[in-house]
Amino acid sequence: MPPPAASSRYPSPSQPSGKSEVTDLKSQLRQLAGSRAPGVDDSKRDLFKKVISYMTIGIDVSSVFGEMVMCSATSDIVLKKMCYLYVGNYAKGNPDLSLLTINFLQRDCKDEDPMIRGLALRSLCSLRVPNLVEYLLGPLGSGLKDNNSYVRTIAVTGVLKLYHISASTCIDAEFPATLKSLMLHDSDAQVVANCLAALQEIWSLEASHSEEACREKESLLSKPLIYYFLNRIKEFNEWAQCLILELAVKYVPSDSNDIFDIMNLLEDRLQHANGAVVLATVKVFLQLTLSMTDVHQQVCAIVSVYERIKSPLLTLVSSGSPEQSYAILSHLHLLVVRAPFIFASDYKHFYCQYNEPSYVKKLKLEMLTAIANESNTYEIVTELCEYAANVDIEIARESIRAVGKIALQQYDVNAIVDRLLQFLEMEKDYVTAETLVLVKDLLRKHPQWSHDCISVVGGISSKNIQEPKAKAALIWMLGEYAQDMSDAPYILENLIENWEEEHSAEVRLHLLTAAMKCFFKRAPETQKALGIALAAGIADFHQDVHDRALFYYRVLQYDVHVAESVVSPPQQAVSAFADTQSSEIKDRIFDEFNSLSVIYQKPSYMFTDKEHRGPFEFSEELGSTSITPEVSSDIVPAQQFEANDKDLLLSTDEKDDNKGLSSNNCSAYTAPYESSNISSQMQELAISGPAASATTTQSSFDFDDLLGLGLSAAPAPTPSPPLLKLNPRASLDPRAFQQKWRQLPISLTQEYSVNPQGIAALTVPQSLIKHMQSHSIHCIASGGQSPNFKFFFFAQKEAEPSDYLTECIINSSSAKAQIKVKADDQSTSQAFATVFETALSKFGMP
Amino acid sequence: MPVAASAIYFLNLRGDVLINRTYRDDVGGNMVDAFRTHIMQTKELGNCPVRQIGGCSFVYMRISNVYIVIVVSSNANVACGFKFVVEAVALFKSYFGGAFDEDAIKNNFVLIYELLDEIMDFGYPQNLSPEILKLYITQEGVRSPFSSKPKDKPVPNATLQVTGAVGWRREGLSYKKNEVFLDIVESVNLLMSSKGNVLRCDVTGKVLMKCFLSGMPDLKLGLNDKLGLEKESEMKSRPAKSGKTIELDDVTFHQCVNLTRFNSEKTVSFVPPDGEFELMKYRITEGVNLPFRVLPTIKELGRTRMEVNVKVKSVFGAKMFALGVVVKIPVPKQTAKTNFQVTTGRAKYNPSIDCLDKKFPGQTESTLSAEIELISTMGEKKSWTRPPIQMEFQVPMFTASGLRVRFLKVWEKSGYNTVEWVRYITKAGSYEIRC
Repeated sequence: MPPPAASSRYPSPSQPSGKSEVTDLKSQLRQLAGSRAPGVDDSKRDLFKKVISYMTIGIDVSSVFGEMVMCSATSDIVLKKMCYLYVGNYAKGNPDLSLLTINFLQRDCKDEDPMIRGLALRSLCSLRVPNLVEYLLGPLGSGLKDNNSYVRTIAVTGVLKLYHISASTCIDAEFPATLKSLMLHDSDAQVVANCLAALQEIWSLEASHSEEACREKESLLSKPLIYYFLNRIKEFNEWAQCLILELAVKYVPSDSNDIFDIMNLLEDRLQHANGAVVLATVKVFLQLTLSMTDVHQQVCAIVSVYERIKSPLLTLVSSGSPEQSYAILSHLHLLVVRAPFIFASDYKHFYCQYNEPSYVKKLKLEMLTAIANESNTYEIVTELCEYAANVDIEIARESIRAVGKIALQQYDVNAIVDRLLQFLEMEKDYVTAETLVLVKDLLRKHPQWSHDCISVVGGISSKNIQEPKAKAALIWMLGEYAQDMSDAPYILENLIENWEEEHSAEVRLHLLTAAMKCFFKRAPETQKALGIALAAGIADFHQDVHDRALFYYRVLQYDVHVAESVVSPPQQAVSAFADTQSSEIKDRIFDEFNSLSVIYQKPSYMFTDKEHRGPFEFSEELGSTSITPEVSSDIVPAQQFEANDKDLLLSTDEKDDNKGLSSNNCSAYTAPYESSNISSQMQELAISGPAASATTTQSSFDFDDLLGLGLSAAPAPTPSPPLLKLNPRASLDPRAFQQKWRQLPISLTQEYSVNPQGIAALTVPQSLIKHMQSHSIHCIASGGQSPNFKFFFFAQKEAEPSDYLTECIINSSSAKAQIKVKADDQSTSQAFATVFETALSKFGMP
Repeated sequence: MPVAASAIYFLNLRGDVLINRTYRDDVGGNMVDAFRTHIMQTKELGNCPVRQIGGCSFVYMRISNVYIVIVVSSNANVACGFKFVVEAVALFKSYFGGAFDEDAIKNNFVLIYELLDEIMDFGYPQNLSPEILKLYITQEGVRSPFSSKPKDKPVPNATLQVTGAVGWRREGLSYKKNEVFLDIVESVNLLMSSKGNVLRCDVTGKVLMKCFLSGMPDLKLGLNDKLGLEKESEMKSRPAKSGKTIELDDVTFHQCVNLTRFNSEKTVSFVPPDGEFELMKYRITEGVNLPFRVLPTIKELGRTRMEVNVKVKSVFGAKMFALGVVVKIPVPKQTAKTNFQVTTGRAKYNPSIDCLDKKFPGQTESTLSAEIELISTMGEKKSWTRPPIQMEFQVPMFTASGLRVRFLKVWEKSGYNTVEWVRYITKAGSYEIRC
């Protein structure tokens, strides 16, 4: 019996939201309830089906609850199942009526057929009515002891359900302990697996407020238990295997023998037909190699592990549905960013097929970009150029961008530049637009190609370019290379004359700057245009445009030469473009391999947490570099779960409220990284010249840089605070540090440059730790490898017990140090930062 | 936790709910609406199979005319989620016998609810093996209204089977005639440039089996793959026989295969499930024999005329035949008139020119030459982006990889005789030739 056409969900004159049907059903059920006539089960079945199908499409049939319960006295198992499903769905809303069902469910729990016992127990636990939990205890207790494994598996999950309805009842009845003994002694693999799942959830949630649960949770990761599971992993079904592998990931091996033992045990899992098992195994392998202490051994192991996991992963990409390949490709992309060499010779696997969905193609393009190296660039770029003519415009654009990215990565860009310039000749608007942006970036990095590019770019008519980004790129090139393009001033003049029609502020900003640059090189030809541009700019309604025009005007008034050194300093090639994600975030994502984090390309706290985000995040960070791993491994994840759980409850409520609204909560995320991101973007802009829209948001510190005045930050805008005296013998134990770090808000985030001597001296973290100690700033934890080092420092005021906690990340390749300060006394945190900076600046000086 | 799925929905293309099963309370009841408004009714639909709305993530797949959506609220394991959907659909198919679509769901929705109850409990996947589930979930679960007490069915046995030592096979099977069918099915993926260079080429193969064997038989399969042959010659301490050996890039096995034994002895030994199953999957990139060569030449003569000439050559053994050969030659959208001749088979125009050959013998050649007239479009300067030529075919008794079964041994303690049937077939996967 099919459900009625779903259109009946919408109210229409003939079917007023299914109300009359429900009343009909009600009376029919009532008639059948007491009947014992032969064939009554069949008619009941039809009615039940109708009820379930209404329920499915969203018609509220809760009003027949009483009748359904009355009809439930039957021996027909299909009828029973439908009835259970119905009851499970509506019990929560009808707690009083649910009491009626308890009786028959309890009776069924004692049925001689294990099938019915199991089903009844499952439904009983799915009622989710808090004041009925007392009726659960008996059946659950006997279910756990049932001699049939089917009933036991259901009872185990039942305990978890009970825990979610009423945690205290579940704990008081000592069910977790029973589950533990079942997990260790039951002969049935599915029972064991369900025990593991249930215990993991229960103890993780309990751990936040119970010491004992914390210990229990830790005991799940003990060596004997891990080996108990791993040794018999083949007895479990594929899903349970995933569960066990997920547990093994968290295990901290004692030594390298331990690591190799586990790898040997699990090696054949890589040949499992289920992709999820393979991926989970890959995760275990990756984590194990990370936990190796011997660096040399680690490098060898990583190489061989990557070599081993490569083929299974490539197989997974090409087999299965596009959705599955998408999930796998996301993971490959993560791997390849860490170790581009692994797939370098397998680049052909990532060639796009014509019929693939665009989400797969996009990821493949990203893969191709990431694995391009000296040996395969030619083939990859050739292939990418094929896609530039693709029907799917979005993919065509992506592939052009990919070519550009490869050009920026590689040293031998000669051939690629030619290809890019060929794109310009294709005369498709979007191709030209994308290419212009790329040529601009390329010139910023490799100014030596200007000659070839400019001659081609000069031939492009600005009329054909509509996209603001591309237009801005073209204008930037016109300004930057005005001396090489004979008609640059006239093109600019043309554009400036159409100032009013230019809708994008970005383009107008670039026009101003380009006019200035052009003026310094070819004053007589540009003077008139510049005048018009400045006048139009000052009258512009857009604040940034107005400000920039006014600033140019005044600085020109002050001194033309100063203006030139500000606006058009000697060209400097950009060595590296800022990465959009910090390496820290990437590490976090890597830790969460085989989860949604990889798909979204952001750590889980960004999309699961809201409220607990701030403090929790820092405690996690601390945990990742802490010297006391046992602290980090138990307390911190516990919090994570708690946070998640609260969040879940919250999120549902919220969603009910803003139904229909686009509520992507992630957009509200304000990461502490954001500030650092902005500043790093600023630097990129500062060096390159075409700094644009960000002028309003920056601090004065960045502003100096932006203008390229070469002034140091010495004349600080704020009066320098009184010098802070620190206690040279301060002490703080790691636990207290961790707690404080979690509690305090960030009072300051800054970024400094580290002098080259300092970087040279930073071969090992210890050198910096000693140096800082001589300035009364003590290190509590450190970690990382070149180029990224991370330190946690603390210091105390000389006179009073007021602490300063600092996280310091030093990137030795960019010679930047990023610090975050948290202080008991926040008013002095600026003073402390100054002390810290002074100390850091002396690092490496003789 | 691998997947703690909060809910699973089945929707049709319009967004009407076909099945709605909530496992956990941590998602609201209006999640379907959220999916409809934020994914189905926007351009997002084809863009990404994993989407986040509010605090929940939607992992969805389209299978024929149905969307299957898993809602999770935690940081779930996506690969596991997709695999679960795929396996679940396979399970449903084995119950309905074949198609899985909107109608099949509507006709079997009670059964689907029953199955959803068994295969996932509180968001954790349980047992999805059709072999086992069919023992205790049957559509004939109907007991006749006159026998009110359950005594005819030995259900406890079924549930014990769920996790026995050999979970995939029941004990006490018996057949009059013991037969094993083994099919090696390969699909060739090819991407060839317009100049005839092979850009990318690989073979993904499957070994499919159908077993009708009594008792608990032990099977052993030997292939002419490099690893196995080397190991064998090493053990017998004599050089391997000359002949083609195949290097498998990657192999995955059905859970019944004893992997420890595969790793030590390199032989595939297993106790098979009853009926049909996929024994192994493999992938090969080296030494692939392409069954067909395609040589296209396309000339654009001015703005309104094109000349297309496509030569297809079969390069497998002369005694073999390819079946169902289709060559799809793309033509521009503004095609007004086509004129074509083919040397064998027939051809027709339906957005692309399709050449059809029911039977295509080995070592032969077939040519299509066509003249195409285009409607001249004013102002449109856009040149035609030439999609690739695509091919479909099946070549029985041919393996593109050259893989052969060397032996298939069946051993059972009662020592019965078995009949073994081995077949090979090569199909086109994505066989694309750029032009």
